[in-house]
Amino acid sequence: MKISFAKFAPPSEGAVVLPVLEGKVLTSAGVDLDGRTGGALTRAMAVGKFEGKKDQTLIVLAPHGTDLSRVVLIGLGKPDSVNSQTAESFGGTAVAQLLTSGDTDAALMIEAMDGVALGAVEFAAHAGLGARLRGWRFDKYMTKEKKEDKPSLRKVSLNVDDHKAAKEKFQPLDKVADGVLLSREVISEPANVIYPETLAAEAKKLAEMGVEVEVLGEKQMRKLGMGSLLGVGQGSERESQLVVMQWKGAADPTVQPIAFVGKGVCFDSGGISIKPAASMEDMKWDMGGAGVVIGLMKALAGRGAKVNVIGIAGLVENMPSGTAQRPGDVVTSMSGQTIEVINTDAEGRLVLADALWYTQDRFKPKFMIDLATLTGAIIIALGEQYCGLFASDDELAERITTAGKAVGELAWRLPLGDAYDKQIKSDIADMKNVGGREGGSITAAQFLKRFTNDVPWAHLDIAGVTWSKKDTATVPKGATAFGVRMLDRLVAEHYEER
Amino acid sequence: MRIGFAADSSGLDSVAVGLWEGRRPTPSYTALGSAASRAVAASPRFSGKEGEAVHTVTADGRHLMVLGLGPEEAMDTARAERLGGHLVAALNGLGAERLGVQLDLPALFAAHVAFGLRLRSWRPPPSLRRPLPADEAPTLTDAVLIGDDADWPPLEALADSICTARDLAVLPGNLLGPAAFEAHARALTDLGCTVEVLDAAELSRQGLALLAAVGQGSAQPARLVVVRWSGADGAPLVFVGKGITFDSGGLSIKHGDAMAEMKGDMAGAAAALMALRTLAVTRVPVHAVAVLAIAENMPSGRALRPGDVLRAYSGQIVEVVDTDAEGRLVLADALAWSCATLKPRALVDLATLTGAIVTTLGHHHAGLFANDDGLAAALLAAGEPLWRLPLSDSYDEDLKSPVADIRNCAWGRVPDALHAARFLQGFVTEGVPWAHLDIAGTADAVEDGPMGIKGPTGFGVRLLVAWASSAGRSSTPKRRLP
Repeated sequence: MKISFAKFAPPSEGAVVLPVLEGKVLTSAGVDLDGRTGGALTRAMAVGKFEGKKDQTLIVLAPHGTDLSRVVLIGLGKPDSVNSQTAESFGGTAVAQLLTSGDTDAALMIEAMDGVALGAVEFAAHAGLGARLRGWRFDKYMTKEKKEDKPSLRKVSLNVDDHKAAKEKFQPLDKVADGVLLSREVISEPANVIYPETLAAEAKKLAEMGVEVEVLGEKQMRKLGMGSLLGVGQGSERESQLVVMQWKGAADPTVQPIAFVGKGVCFDSGGISIKPAASMEDMKWDMGGAGVVIGLMKALAGRGAKVNVIGIAGLVENMPSGTAQRPGDVVTSMSGQTIEVINTDAEGRLVLADALWYTQDRFKPKFMIDLATLTGAIIIALGEQYCGLFASDDELAERITTAGKAVGELAWRLPLGDAYDKQIKSDIADMKNVGGREGGSITAAQFLKRFTNDVPWAHLDIAGVTWSKKDTATVPKGATAFGVRMLDRLVAEHYEER
Repeated sequence: MRIGFAADSSGLDSVAVGLWEGRRPTPSYTALGSAASRAVAASPRFSGKEGEAVHTVTADGRHLMVLGLGPEEAMDTARAERLGGHLVAALNGLGAERLGVQLDLPALFAAHVAFGLRLRSWRPPPSLRRPLPADEAPTLTDAVLIGDDADWPPLEALADSICTARDLAVLPGNLLGPAAFEAHARALTDLGCTVEVLDAAELSRQGLALLAAVGQGSAQPARLVVVRWSGADGAPLVFVGKGITFDSGGLSIKHGDAMAEMKGDMAGAAAALMALRTLAVTRVPVHAVAVLAIAENMPSGRALRPGDVLRAYSGQIVEVVDTDAEGRLVLADALAWSCATLKPRALVDLATLTGAIVTTLGHHHAGLFANDDGLAAALLAAGEPLWRLPLSDSYDEDLKSPVADIRNCAWGRVPDALHAARFLQGFVTEGVPWAHLDIAGTADAVEDGPMGIKGPTGFGVRLLVAWASSAGRSSTPKRRLP
């Protein structure tokens, strides 16, 4: 699907998409079209109980007096509530309505609207982003799909007066979308296709964009003493990998970087503490954190972010076998701290323990943010609306929360504290890897904190938000890539050179 | 254990003195001379950190405990309370009976030490068991703080209330049913409170069908108990408490392994009641009302069934899909009734509501939900461990019922604590500042700590008292208190 920007001129054929403010307020293009069709839009709005409320849609087929295939009206809600997220929803909803409609071309007619603070140029750029995000589809393994079920939409044209400015505004957003879609792609792939070596190979492709990528294999990790990460992967035939990505976008490539660390359990069977069969297939996306970090690096490099960034992905496969880790095993992490593995299905924190320690040890970053589909408890805590946010640094937590709000990826902070830390005391080692059901996400975060060496740190538990069971305006169901946009925004707001 | 204050430690068989961190002496420590200093010198690991202890004997043959007080700077009331707790924990098994506490702290801190002594020495009511054998029984009978008791009376009232809240929570279902709970509430008339009870007939007449239905399986009907402290004029602050005196789950019956803990499912109501008691005893100039939704949730031939549809006091129709999500039902009616009848200035409910809050926050924070940022801030400022969680309309979808306005919960791996809070919000009149505290995790301590033994904590009493006392400062005091 191609996104383009064109002069504001009503098309003579294909599909036209018009924004409508609450109270059935049409734009000038809408009023014009309503006139040309003898009031068909006004009548359709009345008959269809269409008010222009946010995300409400109405389709008028082949309106009289034109050669258009259809006119799609999309509600924006009240004028003062319209922001860049509304524009993204508008673009996404337009694509959702037309993707398999049979239409190949859609023209989104965008102009300044009374009472709306967001200008037409911004609106168009964000509508373009929304269109790209909603237009993505993971259908490569659908070999027998019926023709009428396949996407027909080829071209989305954003018609706006200053289309050159809009196109320019769209450029960085387009690159962020590239990152989001890469994340969704690798997260959606099954575990027989994306496993540690193949995911590392995907990361290596970022070298074309100027990202320096190294991949550490088991031999190198053993030399570094990463007994915690290696223990998780030892039951699998697949070799564990640690991907180290560096984007040196600052004027001075030696200036202190910021770091993102992702959990990449490419398949998590639970190991010897094996999971129940129902929904085990979901565990192909237990590498969501790593997928997001790789996508984020692509987004930042793509738009040439002026900042030095480290991206680390700890990649393993957690399998039961004759060589697998056993409950009760004690491993020594790179930090020197020992861990009693009570439950081999609490493996994400074992991977992150060494990945975090390695990150701070080698790069001395300004801060570290890790992302992980870490606990089931976070789904009980916050559902699928918010990711869990834990932080050792209030300012960082505040900035993450604000950045997430701005792009519609919401984080809710949860507490840390010594009282919780007590729950992971082990009788025979420095700590154990589970702390019981009570405050299960918090004790997991306390575990990670012990491997941050007091570097400012935040942890995003994304187990509830990485995979969506239903479509939203800009995210089709399935892999969401939650985190790419939030963290891209965080970097853009606070950490880039001006 | 009795707690008193005296000028000196004569007649006591044991004494405790303090040593600041870094072994910086207090006057009483110094006054004991070599008896104390030799024992400390012989304890190389003792540095005076909070709670460390050295035991020895004074020159006149009394038991002497040197207690580490922590750093001398930044002393605060919370630490003073923990010190009191440490004393009880360390001394109760050692045979000391009459303890003199001579820590040389200012009166305010001494009162808080006494508070910690009182809370840590709480035990389940002796009526529940035969006396412990001598080698297991606590030995301390008296703790006498050497110094000024000026700041003790209000804290003593608060400590008594917290301990009574713990008593109520620990009493089993056969000893504290709805009628017995009501009797405890009625006892507050002695303190100048007024008590009104909506019995089964009245619940039916006024339409509190959710509350009545939760209790309909039990031989003891549900009731709404309304206790008022009129320490000031104006709109009241209202504390709403969940008081399920025993929660079997009803027909959606719970597993046997932990069901006995459900005798404590009235901890919210106990906290609300005991907070009101504290306000009355200390005659705080505030108008406050405790609204207690009391019921016993039992399966029986007339019990509420999953699938039953009920018309709430508010008029909403609720489908009950799980009879073990009963707390939100009784609270829904109590909240709606309170809004309509009491016209509250602000409304706070406390409930041992969900298992999900324990998964979310463990035992060290209660979940706070609020429709009003000012109220949330005021509660957070009260100094008790609360953590705010989201109230969001994004959860409404999960609570949709195919047959009624709303269902009482959703199934599966869902954020049930958030669902419950959102459910309750629908029964609070728009514009009334309201907060919901899910105390299922904090109502019980899983291990002994400085402020109490394993078991019920009385969480919420202190919070409500602190909040009402500070909120009361902005209300109009009555000329003459009752």
